[in-house]
Amino acid sequence: MNDSKNPLSPHIQIYRWHISSLLSITHRISGVINLIALISIFFWLTVLSLGENNYETFLFIVNSFFGKFILIGFTWSMSFHVLSGIRHLVWDMGYGFEIKTANFSGIVVIISSLLLTIIFWLFARGFI
Amino acid sequence: MVQFNLPKNSKILKGQYFKDKTGSSNLKIVHIYRWDPDKNENPREDTFEIDLNSCGNKVLDILNKIKNEIDSSLTFRRSCAHGVCGSCAMNVDGVNTLSCMKSHKEIKGDLRIFPLPHLKVVKDLVADLSKLYRQYESIEPWLKTKNSKSKKNEINQSKKSREKLDGLYECIMCACCSTSCPSYWWNSEKYLGPAVLLQAYRWISDSRDDEKKERLKKVADKLKLYGCHTIMNCASSCPKGLNPAKAIGSIKKMLATS
Repeated sequence: MNDSKNPLSPHIQIYRWHISSLLSITHRISGVINLIALISIFFWLTVLSLGENNYETFLFIVNSFFGKFILIGFTWSMSFHVLSGIRHLVWDMGYGFEIKTANFSGIVVIISSLLLTIIFWLFARGFI
Repeated sequence: MVQFNLPKNSKILKGQYFKDKTGSSNLKIVHIYRWDPDKNENPREDTFEIDLNSCGNKVLDILNKIKNEIDSSLTFRRSCAHGVCGSCAMNVDGVNTLSCMKSHKEIKGDLRIFPLPHLKVVKDLVADLSKLYRQYESIEPWLKTKNSKSKKNEINQSKKSREKLDGLYECIMCACCSTSCPSYWWNSEKYLGPAVLLQAYRWISDSRDDEKKERLKKVADKLKLYGCHTIMNCASSCPKGLNPAKAIGSIKKMLATS
């Protein structure tokens, strides 16, 4: 039926979110954020080559509340994407497709990504 | 390009309100998607007050009650009412399911019913599944044998080989899974979708079939098969408790290891 007068039934607007679908979209979004993070690392190196004054400005931005928020966000995004990627690899090996298992592994990924971010920053700040 | 919004002619407007006439205190508010092909109007969401004291437990009972007692123009597919035929698949309370299997008592608050997602609507809760049926045909869902002898005699199957079809043969092709899949919503031209891939795997796994390799080769396509990103909406929505995501994973694994 290609009749364009027939409406399209609602989809994402009405479909209930599950842990699995939420994690799937978050995996994609964190992948994009990781790309931005990588570009930012190159930007950091570029600023470094531009001399002391520019680097001071850069440090000021990074050390601001906003800058810290972004940096912590980057580490969380990287942690999440790596752990969620491992979950995908386990699926590719043929394990963990049962709904209960998949929900459990999803929650494990969320909690561990937060823990990993906290550990990373404790380590970076010299608390560990 | 992925389109998240509904096209202009598909935006849902507020519809009619059918007030309860029985004076019952046990009411359920039910919102139902309506679209009439004979009128040149956008779809609308009608609201019905349903007296639960005189209604069966299933969502289909509510639909039948509306059709019999309140608005006979309400259109929906149904047949067996026992979860065998797959006709009454629709989106109930945000998840695709068979309305004859789903109890409305499990649903708190208002009940919302839509047709299966991201399909062309034929009328009210009836959506067009012809594309999915064409894709089903494309995987050639019938036994193929090369040996001419086996065409005359019965082909025996060991218990173990037969067991490989468990969790696959029970599929009734109600399309709940395929139309729950975001990947299928936006790539249904190329991606086969969970229902059809589960069937593809059902024939790949059949010990009596002689074309396992050809079947695998045919389905091994960047979009036909690998459109699946393990979102798992299919497995959570299947009213028969099957797991299309696992079947797709098994095909991917077979291809990776063969």
